[in-house]
Parts: sequence; structure tokens; C-alpha cells
Amino acid sequence: MAETATVPTYRRAGGIGRLLERYPFLPALVIVAALLLLNGFFSPNSLTFRALTGLLSTYMALILLAIAQTYVVYAGDIDLSAGAILSLVNVAIVVLMERWGGGAGAVFLALAIGLLLGLACGLVNGLVVAALRLQAIVATFATSIFFTGLALYILPVAGTPAPALFWRTYGGRLFGVPFVFYILAALVILLAVMSRTRLVTQLLAVGDDQQAAYQTGLPVIATRIKGYVLCGLFSALAAFCITGDTASGDPLVGGKMTLYSVAAVVLGGSALSGGWGTVVGSLLGALTIGLINSVVFFMGTPSEWQNFVQGLAILLVLMAGVLAGRRARS
Amino acid sequence: MSKLKLSGVSKAYGATLALRRGDLELMAGEVHVLMGSNGSGKSTLCKIIAGSVRPDGGKIFVDDQPVTISGPRSARSHGIGIFYQELSLAARRSVEENISLGKLPVKSRVFIDRSELRQRAARYIGLFDGVCGEGFSADTLVGNLRPDQRQLVEIMKALASEAPLLIFDEPTSALDRAQVERFFEILRDLKRRGRGIIFISHRMDEIKAIGDRVTIIRDGETITTLNLGETDPATVIRLMVGGAGDMPASQSSVPAVVEGEGGTALTVRDLSGRGFRNVSFEVGRGEILGFGGLHGQGQSAVLRAIFGAGSIASGEILIGDSRFDASNPRDAIRRGCAYVSGDRSRDGVISGRPIIENVTPIHYLRDRLMIARPGKLRAKVAPALDSMHTKFASLFHPMGSLSGGNQQKVIIARWLIDRPDVLLLDDPTKGIDLSAKADLFALIRQLAAEGLGIVLYSSEDAELLGNANRILVFNGGSVSRELTGADRTRYNLYQAAYEAA
Repeated sequence: MAETATVPTYRRAGGIGRLLERYPFLPALVIVAALLLLNGFFSPNSLTFRALTGLLSTYMALILLAIAQTYVVYAGDIDLSAGAILSLVNVAIVVLMERWGGGAGAVFLALAIGLLLGLACGLVNGLVVAALRLQAIVATFATSIFFTGLALYILPVAGTPAPALFWRTYGGRLFGVPFVFYILAALVILLAVMSRTRLVTQLLAVGDDQQAAYQTGLPVIATRIKGYVLCGLFSALAAFCITGDTASGDPLVGGKMTLYSVAAVVLGGSALSGGWGTVVGSLLGALTIGLINSVVFFMGTPSEWQNFVQGLAILLVLMAGVLAGRRARS
Repeated sequence: MSKLKLSGVSKAYGATLALRRGDLELMAGEVHVLMGSNGSGKSTLCKIIAGSVRPDGGKIFVDDQPVTISGPRSARSHGIGIFYQELSLAARRSVEENISLGKLPVKSRVFIDRSELRQRAARYIGLFDGVCGEGFSADTLVGNLRPDQRQLVEIMKALASEAPLLIFDEPTSALDRAQVERFFEILRDLKRRGRGIIFISHRMDEIKAIGDRVTIIRDGETITTLNLGETDPATVIRLMVGGAGDMPASQSSVPAVVEGEGGTALTVRDLSGRGFRNVSFEVGRGEILGFGGLHGQGQSAVLRAIFGAGSIASGEILIGDSRFDASNPRDAIRRGCAYVSGDRSRDGVISGRPIIENVTPIHYLRDRLMIARPGKLRAKVAPALDSMHTKFASLFHPMGSLSGGNQQKVIIARWLIDRPDVLLLDDPTKGIDLSAKADLFALIRQLAAEGLGIVLYSSEDAELLGNANRILVFNGGSVSRELTGADRTRYNLYQAAYEAA
């Protein structure tokens, strides 16, 4: 019998607090706007349509990976193999496209197989973490090594080019509008649809209080597995974008991106402990990271100092987000 | 025909038998009250029916058909809905989502049917129209609600299961009068419609108002089932207490207050804080003051507040003659206050570390010890552990190698190297075996005899009656009665605890 001697706290949110409660990504939005202004200040050219299109096509992969991460974080889990899944799908589709001749049919077939591969990787993670009840951090770290191993087996060295048809489409225009904007539009629709599903509410309920969700009769294990499967799916989509952006296969391309995706989720206002967050926030979080990198570049930071300044900037933004949230709640 | 029947259901957690033999028969259209003292097994019985605890043995029949309840989902499919005492709400989901969380309405198989969700929520919120209180609406986040409002949401959630068989495990503990009245009207209506309801409450007046029959559980065993119309509260309490209820606590077992030492060890005046209000008492040197009453009536909160681990809104605390207001446990320890919690894993044990490290942290703090020499430490640690007959292989074995009772002895030994002035015991014997309990209480009495002021909160009334010089009975966060001398009987203790606050 649980002893609950103290009366739990409750608070009545004020105007801004209530707004923040409904749209937890607001601080991230403000930060993105501020970073855009900073970019414009250091280099007016960085705000041109062309530059923004470039930024979007470079960071679309990170945006998708952050969204992938969000669904597992919803349920209070984490996926440290998201970047490795991205690498694996990247090399798999590049090798398949090349082997099948690089025509439209080959491209679509390879993409379909890439999606299945992402789903399968997500399913493995879900089974390992939720069904076998292993620690999510360590278990997905282990599967990330495993997936990287597979990627290295498929393509031992980086460099196999993607077919021109594929990357020209990704980097090109359709009816005068850059292709990435179609991707963005499709993504927004997909996210809006996803947010209405029962699964998302169940993921959030599981992340909120796993014991309560179990006692309520929710299928806790199945829900967590589905979260990982969704993560695998979106990681595969992220792999398509990175393939379009880099136009080649690289078995280690996603390694660094995993923790960036986690950072983007947190910058977007989601709680790593689960139960609270938005995919829009993660999208903005990923953009924040992209914009920080571009500000650091346009500020003319010497190359040996760029990492230092980037790290510092991410810390600052994180602090700003936390402070804004605390101020609004008090 | 019985709606639900349990026969000989049992459940053990490790060595502790939570439920020895649970029998229960529930008819359609009745409110069946479960009564029993703290830890008698009521909640375990309910959780077995609801599927969140798997029984070790016994049979369960629903509508005279034998069933196996493998989990909460399976319980639902057998038509069982439950209100959990500790609530089962998602704090960051809205009220309407929480009400339907167990069975979210869907359209096109994957999407949440928002309009159905809203209608369903409106139906159950409507039942409590006018008594929900300020700031309660379908789209409020549950975490922003007051405790009583959350309890209402949990009730609505249980009702929304529309199960033919409903369990309410202490559903009224945070509700006000009007809310309880409305809830009882709803229950009466459900009764008329032939639902079977199991109801747990500690308020005798409520039980009288709503119950049809009562089943009494004592020490994990079903004692009897009575018609509430044909019995009176005194009989029920007597049955809960068992045979020797009227006997005063044996005087010989209680050490006399050492008058010679003189003075008070701890004085608390008008202390209020989160979970308790206007608590005043004095503990003399050499005295053991007992805290009694039902679970969670503020006893732990007071002890933790004195130790600097809780919140204090107002009031005054003195240790000896000097004012004592520890802002954190570190401060409290430095000034001679000791606290032992029954929740070892949360508040005491440094798991995975050797026994010696688990005995010495207080010594490090009080002596401002910077460098430790094992040989010297061992000389200090050994007598502390020996005084309670702690059994261990060596000081460098991990803490986890010990049984619960021996772990608790190690935790208490912490405080014996440098003697404190005041010892606060917060249900210290939770989940430990009988011989360890005996060792523990022998030590506590000895410490009292040496002039320590001791406050003992125990959820087991026998421990209070056998060891405390005086007992303060807590009810709803304040002291409702003080039992001294020959008044310290089981019967009085129960009666004071079960009185409506």
C-alpha cells in the first residue's frame, strides 16, 4: 500500500502558463525566430529564400529524426539507435538503387525496402526494450552498434553515389517550388493526422505514469513497441532525406545525429521522462540546432572554435527554454 | 445468484503474507463493504479482483463461472471496474481523456473519436454537476486539479467503465460532504440497476449510510460477513480488532518515563504544513511517544517536517530548550535529530555498497570526517551493529546480501555511533520479520531508558500499544485524541482512528 502522506501540489496556471500548457513549443518558436534574426544580422544573405531552402534541405533529415525520437520519448523511452537506423537505411537504399540501375522503378522499390528496413529495426528495438524489459538506454545503444555493423557490411566505405534522378529531385524544384517544401507540407499533414490517433494518446498516457496506464488496462508493452516501430519508420524517412542531401551512401552518417535528435526533442519542450511534448516542438528544436550552426558560421567563428561556440549556444538556448517555462508557470 | 465469489484467495510478497485466506461473495444490487485495519489485506483483495495483482492461490467466480484474471485488461473483459485508492490517472492528460482512457472511442479504427470522447465525459461530469468545484472542466489537465477533484475524476473513470461490478477502494478520503452525498446518490442508483459494488471506507457513518452488508478482514483472513442493518459499529470494530480488544495494553511492557533525567527532549507547538495542521506535543527525555491512526493521516508528514525533509508553514519546534528549525536533513542531523523511515529503499539503504558504508554516513557528517581508516571505523561500527544482533557475513559484504530486517538494523545502527537527542521512527518495522522487530523494540526501549526522546509512528497498533507511553491518534492531519495510561486499548485506538474527521 503506497503511503501518500503529503498532499500533492497543484497549481493554477496563469495566462501565459495556460498558453504554454496548450502549446508547449512556444519558447522553441520564439528561439527559432530570434535565431533567424541573428542570422539576418550577421549575414543578410542568409535570410534569402534560396538560403532558407538550403537550410531546410540540409536539416530535413534531423527534423525527421527528432520527430522519430519524439514518439519513443512520449512513452518515457529513448532510442539511441535512431542514427544507426538512418545510416543502415541510407546505405541499403543507395546500394540497391545502384544495383538495380537507378531508374524510377528501382528508386521506388529501394525506398519501399528502406521503409520496411526501418520498421524492422524499430520492431527489434521495441521487442528488446519493452518485451524483454531491458534498459532502454543501454539496449538501444547495443542495437545501434549492431545496426552500424550491418551498415558497414552492406557498404564498408563511404562514397557510393546515389542515382542522379534521386538527389536531383530532392534538391530540385517541382512546378517552380523547391521539392523540400512539398516534403515539409506532407510532413505537416502526416503529423496532424498522427496526432489524432489513439496510439499517440496511449503513448503519452504510458509515459505519464506506466503503472497507472497498466492499471487502467492499457496495453503497455504493445504501446511501447509501437512507439519504437514509429521511430524506426521516421528514421527511415530521415534516411531518405539525408540520401537526397548528400547524394551518397555513408555507413556512419547517422552516428552523430542520434544525440542531436535527443537534444532537439528537449529543446522543443518535451519531457525526457515522458508523457509531455509535441512533435512540432521537436521540428522547431531541430531547426534551432540548424540555425545555431549557421549563426556560428556566419559570425565568422574560426573553424577550430566552431564546436566550442556551438556547444555553448545549445546550452544557452536550453537554459532560455527552461527559464521561460519556469517564469510562465510561477 | 452471486455476481462475484472469491474463495480462499491468497497472496504473499516474499516472506510477508498480505492475504492468507480471502473469501467474499457479492450479490447483484448490493453495496458490499470491506472492513479491516491497516494492512489487513483489503486493498490486496481488491487488486486481485481488478487484476493488477496476481493471486498465489484460491478461486474466483464471476456469475458462478470460474475465471482466471490475468491482468487489468482481463478484469475489464470480465466486467470489473475499479477505483484505485492511489488513483490511476495520467496527470498531463485532460479530464476527458482520463475518463475514457481505459477504452478510448475510435473511428476508422485508429483515430480518436473526439466528439464521442467529449460526450462520454460530459455524461459522467454531469453526474457531479455543481459539486466539482472551481476550475473543473473537461479539458483541464488532471495535474492542475485539486486532490478532491482528482479523486472525482478517478470515480468518473471507474463509472465510465460501465462494468457490472465496481470496486471503490477508499473513494471518499479527499471529498467534501456535498461530493460524498452526490456520489452516494449515484451509487444508490447503480444499486437499483443491479450493479454489484464493493466499497472500502474508514468512515463509520459512510458505511452505515451506503452499505448493505459488511465483510470483515483481520490479519489477511476473512472473519465474517454481516448484514449492516442488524449490527452496530461497536460490534464491527470489535470483530476487526479481534478477541482481546478491550484489554488495556500490558503495563509491564512499557518502560516508565525516566523522571530523574528531567526535561523535555522535543517540543512541537502549533506545527502546520503540507498534510498536517496545528500539531502540538512534547516528548520527555526517556519517553516513547506513539503516533497512531490510519495510514497517511499526517503522521509521516509531521516526522519528515521535523527532520527538515518536509514543508513547514508555521509553528515552532524545540529540541531541549533551544529552538530547532532544520531547513534540511543535513542540518537536523548535525543538531542531534535522527530519523528512521520504514521505506528503506527510498530513504535509507545505499544499495550496492558494502555494509560498512551503510553504517557510517551519519558518523562522517557529525564528526566532519574527511579521511576514513577502516580499522578505526570498524571499532566504532561493531558495537552499534552488535547491540541489535545484526547478522552479516562481513562488513564489506554488499547491503543487498542482507534480509529486510537486517538492513533496517544497519540503518538504525547508523544513528548509534554518535548518539542523537531525538529519534523519529516513521513506521520502522514495515516489512520486516518478527524476530527483527523484537530486537528493534528492545533497542528502542533501551535507548529511551538512556534518556533519548523517541517518537514512534507505527501502522501496527500492537507495536504502539506495547511500546509507547502515550499515543496521539491522528485523523485528517491533526491530533484527534491522546491516549494515556489505561486508555491505551485496542478498542480506543480503533475508535479514535475511525471517527469521522
